[in-house]
Amino acid sequence: MYEILNKQILAEDVKRLDVSAPNIAKKIQPGQFVSVSPEEGDEHIPLSIVDTDPQKGVISLIFQEVGLTTGKLGTLPINESIFSILGPLGVPSKIDKKGVVVCVATGVGSAQILPICRAYRKAGNKVIGIIGAKTKRSLLLEAQMRLSCNKLLIATNDGTYERRGLATDILKEIVAQQKINFVYAIGSVDMMQAVCVFTKEKKIKTRVYLNPVMVDCMGMCGSCRVKVGGKILLACIEGPEFDGHKVDFQYFNIRMKAFEELDRWDNQKGLSSPKKSESGILTRFLSGILRK
Amino acid sequence: MDVPGFVRFLREGNLSAAYERIKEQNCLPAVCGRICSAPCEAACVLMEEESPIGVRALERYAADFGKPRLSRRERVERKGKKVAVVGSGPAGLAASADLARKGYQVTIFEALEKPGGVLRYGIPEFRIPRKVLDGEINDIKALGVNIETNFFIGQTATVADLKEQGYAAILLTTGAGIPQFMDLPGTNFGGVYYGEEFLMRVNLMKVNIFSRNIPNFVIGPKVVVIGSGNTALDCARASVRFGREVKLIFRRTEEDMRVRPQEREYGKEEGIQLEPLVRPVEILADQNNFVSGVKCVRMDYAEAEESDAWELMPVPDSEFIIEADTVIIAIGHKPNSIIKRTTPQLKCDPDETIKVDSDTHMTAIKGVFSAGNVVTNAGPLVEAIASGKSVAEDIHQYLTK
Repeated sequence: MYEILNKQILAEDVKRLDVSAPNIAKKIQPGQFVSVSPEEGDEHIPLSIVDTDPQKGVISLIFQEVGLTTGKLGTLPINESIFSILGPLGVPSKIDKKGVVVCVATGVGSAQILPICRAYRKAGNKVIGIIGAKTKRSLLLEAQMRLSCNKLLIATNDGTYERRGLATDILKEIVAQQKINFVYAIGSVDMMQAVCVFTKEKKIKTRVYLNPVMVDCMGMCGSCRVKVGGKILLACIEGPEFDGHKVDFQYFNIRMKAFEELDRWDNQKGLSSPKKSESGILTRFLSGILRK
Repeated sequence: MDVPGFVRFLREGNLSAAYERIKEQNCLPAVCGRICSAPCEAACVLMEEESPIGVRALERYAADFGKPRLSRRERVERKGKKVAVVGSGPAGLAASADLARKGYQVTIFEALEKPGGVLRYGIPEFRIPRKVLDGEINDIKALGVNIETNFFIGQTATVADLKEQGYAAILLTTGAGIPQFMDLPGTNFGGVYYGEEFLMRVNLMKVNIFSRNIPNFVIGPKVVVIGSGNTALDCARASVRFGREVKLIFRRTEEDMRVRPQEREYGKEEGIQLEPLVRPVEILADQNNFVSGVKCVRMDYAEAEESDAWELMPVPDSEFIIEADTVIIAIGHKPNSIIKRTTPQLKCDPDETIKVDSDTHMTAIKGVFSAGNVVTNAGPLVEAIASGKSVAEDIHQYLTK
């Protein structure tokens, strides 16, 4: 139903899929996401949409292979179909003329921020993009970002490309040089927290795009709960974009870490074994028949 | 429902006639026969003398064994009017079956990948086998009902969009799916789940006793479930099936649990430890921000200061800690706020239930109806089915006027 039309490998375990989904392509706006389940019985994972073509009815997903489900999605070849895509989800971001907008992104966030950069540029803002990456090889969509931002600055942690340092360092320099009206940040929790602490000091309005763990992406599970301004909100229906100065990052960090520690438990250790044993049983069964 | 009618057929041994008689009025007999809260048994006149008539078990028997191999297609006069039903839970299925029988062209819109709503994603496999549910849904499909999945009302299309597409009436049966958040310190620690999340993960993974799927989320060896409703009991029974040590803690007494006593006994037999009259105060965590225990306080009935009534009060100095690696909170649900946000004309109550006219089930928008748990907030399966049936009648009245 949702056919994969094109597939690209962008960087180390980061892939781009172009999927035919006319209903979603018609409706989706910057800041929204879709929930994808590669095969029946798999988890639903929230993925941001990088590019849409409403006329052809095509959406482009970019994701990093980190877990079981994203790994499975990465193995699907062209012309295969994805089992289910639900969307668009989340509240579209409010985009208006603000003046000078700085978009900060790290990791896969630089793919998620691309439609937002484009939308701000289209609304008549001057957009300065800042991308932080680990090394040159993990840098994503540099050319597209250069085309959609007025100015793009890149920092790598190990200094293999452009300049060495963190994305927040560049932000601090830019704020010292000129007047910034608005900051938008997507990426790791530490980066977003650092950006928000800094912009709160300088009184620059900031919005952040949170990527919590979701199960059904429709507000049923409550897994994506975040604390914003003292209230518990669900990122999938009230977000995923929030006012950066109101987000309780400590709470968010604990929630994010809660799912990283899966290895502690033995029910995780056995994860790859069922498939192995299944194929083992099958081969034993077949060899038994052949011997007879 | 014509209970004496189908019981008489069963006594005569005419299974298929009994099945037909049930199916006339209830489109989900096999599901009801398994998980109905059976208010009829509690009201039975034989209750005082001996045990009541097991209507629920009889219904299940008739539905499982009286179902014809080939379902006969019912002939209905097509009216040529389109009706959209949003949500394929019990209320939506009941309403669409009735509407389809009346000759309307019904389309069900479901957000998840398969129809069934709470029956598929909220109730574990051991209570409703998915084969049974698929059978019931196929029967409804055979009536000419269209089911469109991966459609999220408000996001994929709004109510106004549906009206533009030519639906003469729209029925919102979106249910109450959002967990009620508990105001308890420590709910953000790792290993704390809400009941909906837990069941959702279990049901999506299709984990049952026979499958070899291993849950891809953390369930520690010691599980504590907070809550006394059906969701809490389902969570506890599902965890037992993973071989975990499960404690169910709740504020009330065992007799006040909002589940059928029979179901409670099943849970006990399976090895769930019930801890009545206990209220959680705080969830404790270790240095990795993972759950290590639940601090609780004992409750007891005490005379309230102002009135003479007995009230549940915490017993002073009775705090104690239950060790736990996973905590599941299942204390209630509320409706999703998304429909309210994307349809501003819809009038809602502060608890996010949709306001409807009590006679016609119509919402503040003309031609848009609502029923099920999204209106009543929480209720048993039979109530949802009953309200689905009555709203179908109301829509028929509205469209023939």
